[in-house]
Amino acid sequence: MTVDGAFMWALILLLFSAMLTLIRLLAGPTIPDRAVALDSMTTTTAGAMVIYGVVTRQAVFIDVALVYAVLSYIATLYIARYLVKKRIGIAERPEGETS
Amino acid sequence: MNFEELFWVLQAMVALGLLVSAIAAIRFKNLISAVIAMAVFSLILSLEFYILQAPDVAIAEAGVGAGLTTAMYLLAIKNTTDEEVVE
Repeated sequence: MTVDGAFMWALILLLFSAMLTLIRLLAGPTIPDRAVALDSMTTTTAGAMVIYGVVTRQAVFIDVALVYAVLSYIATLYIARYLVKKRIGIAERPEGETS
Repeated sequence: MNFEELFWVLQAMVALGLLVSAIAAIRFKNLISAVIAMAVFSLILSLEFYILQAPDVAIAEAGVGAGLTTAMYLLAIKNTTDEEVVE
């Protein structure tokens, strides 16, 4: 197997694991599950984009992965701020229990 | 595996992901879940532009899809309600 073949298999396996996180996004019962699935899928896909840039040997393709990694962080931050404001996914403490 | 085979395998996976995430974005009743599914749709669409050798379009799609629309939809939902209301 050549080096390019190894990179191609790595790319396909990364996208396959992104599909597995898509299953969690469909099935996840709570909203924090889905937010974490989105974040994990974005990170995996950014890695796949870098490997695709290596396979095609074009340095421009690395920039897309950089931009997506920075912007997905902002999207996750907004979702997390919403969840904190609405107190979604925070367990209610029983009465009388401190901190 | 040569590059041609890799291209078609990637196209098949991207098409499957686009279909699944679009249907999820339509069918979810909780609006936050729908916004998250739409962010995933935008991510996979950006990957499709990227595979079709258009990295500048992919950067624009990433900026609009991940940054702008998610933030604006969440701001709108924060000021109204997050469950779908059928009148």
